[in-house]
Amino acid sequence: MNAKTLTSRRNLFLLGGVLLAALIPLALGKNQYAMVLVTTVLLYAVLATAWNIIGGMAGQLDLAAAAYLGLGAFTTGTLLMRWNITPWLGMIVGGITAAGLAFLIGFPLFGFKIKELWYALSSSALVEVMRVLFLMWDQVGGPTEQYLPAGLSAWYSLRFNNYVPYYYIMLVILIAVLILTTRIRYSKLGYSLLALGEDEDAVEVLGVNSQAAKLKALMIYAFISGVVGGVYACLYGYLHPSFFSTSMSMEVAILGIVGGMGITYGPALAAIVMVSFREFLRANLGGGMEGLYLVVYAVILIVVALYQPRGIAPLLERGIKYIKTYFGELRHGRPADAESR
Amino acid sequence: MDAQPMLKVDNLTKKFNDLVAVSDVTFEVRPGEIVGLIGPNGAGKTTLFNAITGLYKPEAGRVTYKGVNITGLLPHKICKLGMSRTFQVTRAFAHMTVEDTVRVGAYNRCGEKNVQAKVDQVLGLVEMEDIRGRVCSDLGLASLRKVELARALATEPDMLLLDEAGAGLNATELGAFMALIQKLNRDYHITFCVVEHVMQMVMGLCHRIVVLESGEVIATGTPNEISANQRVIEAYLGKRAVRC
Repeated sequence: MNAKTLTSRRNLFLLGGVLLAALIPLALGKNQYAMVLVTTVLLYAVLATAWNIIGGMAGQLDLAAAAYLGLGAFTTGTLLMRWNITPWLGMIVGGITAAGLAFLIGFPLFGFKIKELWYALSSSALVEVMRVLFLMWDQVGGPTEQYLPAGLSAWYSLRFNNYVPYYYIMLVILIAVLILTTRIRYSKLGYSLLALGEDEDAVEVLGVNSQAAKLKALMIYAFISGVVGGVYACLYGYLHPSFFSTSMSMEVAILGIVGGMGITYGPALAAIVMVSFREFLRANLGGGMEGLYLVVYAVILIVVALYQPRGIAPLLERGIKYIKTYFGELRHGRPADAESR
Repeated sequence: MDAQPMLKVDNLTKKFNDLVAVSDVTFEVRPGEIVGLIGPNGAGKTTLFNAITGLYKPEAGRVTYKGVNITGLLPHKICKLGMSRTFQVTRAFAHMTVEDTVRVGAYNRCGEKNVQAKVDQVLGLVEMEDIRGRVCSDLGLASLRKVELARALATEPDMLLLDEAGAGLNATELGAFMALIQKLNRDYHITFCVVEHVMQMVMGLCHRIVVLESGEVIATGTPNEISANQRVIEAYLGKRAVRC
């Protein structure tokens, strides 16, 4: 197998995908509802891709995405409202704040090797703690929505009157995060995390500091979620403690799992398929049968868990391989041996 | 032989609540040696290994490796000092390929630039280049034991602790595995401490043997001395068997 042509072909596919994604607003730009939808898809794609680092690679079932997202949103929003600091800077500060929170949470949890159900519960509790905290904390939060000021220029305060700019910002973040996770996946950290997800003791005797590796993973994930939170606040135009949403955190984890744990593009793929599908169902079933879309969503989850526990990304890979072999047969009259491993 | 032992265990004690799994164990491994650790089931061999490699914190005693006190040190720090191990029940990374598994160990001493060379070297050494792309869950027991050895080797240890590496292997596999350990010992100067039930392997491989029973050392000596030792025979077969 020629690795170089394979990578270059893969890059070509990626470039095609990016171009396609970049063209979407041209087709939908006028339709506000459709633009919110595709922006939301990208938002979930970023969160799920970042979740993959801690959840898919390190195998820590994290349910705290919205804790970091919310903290990033509140940091960005508060900086803008109080001191008129641009969200471009605010979202970076938000990311750093979220990573700081991740350090405080992760240091003891990973030190005591909290895993699986217990880690899931602890991280889920974090979201609720943050929500209540910001509900009570009148100086920055409180129970009423705080609307972000429009400011002098739309670009400075990141407040646009249509969704197209947000879409592009999110697309750029998604591409950056995909590149970052791919880098991590094929680095010392990535291999260590993948192995840690399988057997912690066995990895430690190979010289890997499990606490440090997981802490790094959690902080990177929290940073990305915090940055996304900054954009999220501007996109919705207000701050509210409901940003610390347990169901959103859950959905991010679900997308990561359905997409394929540890496969870098899997969660983004799952976000594109599942979130679009969810919104489609909500729009079409919403009228008479409120909430029915959740039932359909749940059924899909169960089917994936039963028949495709490694996620939908391997399914896609197998499909592509099948098509390749099929066309290979047409061209050469026999299956391409080089592709089989 | 060097004056300083490679590994020195002094009066090591490990308890689980009231159960004393390892009691006041003292022994040493000199550089270049292959030392066997034998004893009946439940004698505390694996617990002793875990206490040496940092997976358990011992209640009392001292472990010294190359002159450094490593008692209670975290496993990854002990590995950095040059000691790694394998596990009794193979704990391969089920969803990872052989190559990636070895790579995890190789990062111990290598950066991104030379890690691939290290992986290739180790895979060549254990003759697993042909199955480097296979996922560990697809491998048989003999290959899994070799993967565990390979990933530990990739950390560039001076000393390896093998926990029942021969268990469950057939005669051919066992012979190949023993030859590999001898090669690593002779050509790469790796010191070994092996927990083993397979007597063929213990007798054929080890320079010295330490016998544990109920957490205590009951004998130390060369394979010939040990196989003639009354207490060892009693421990394994019971007193009556000796009298008959």
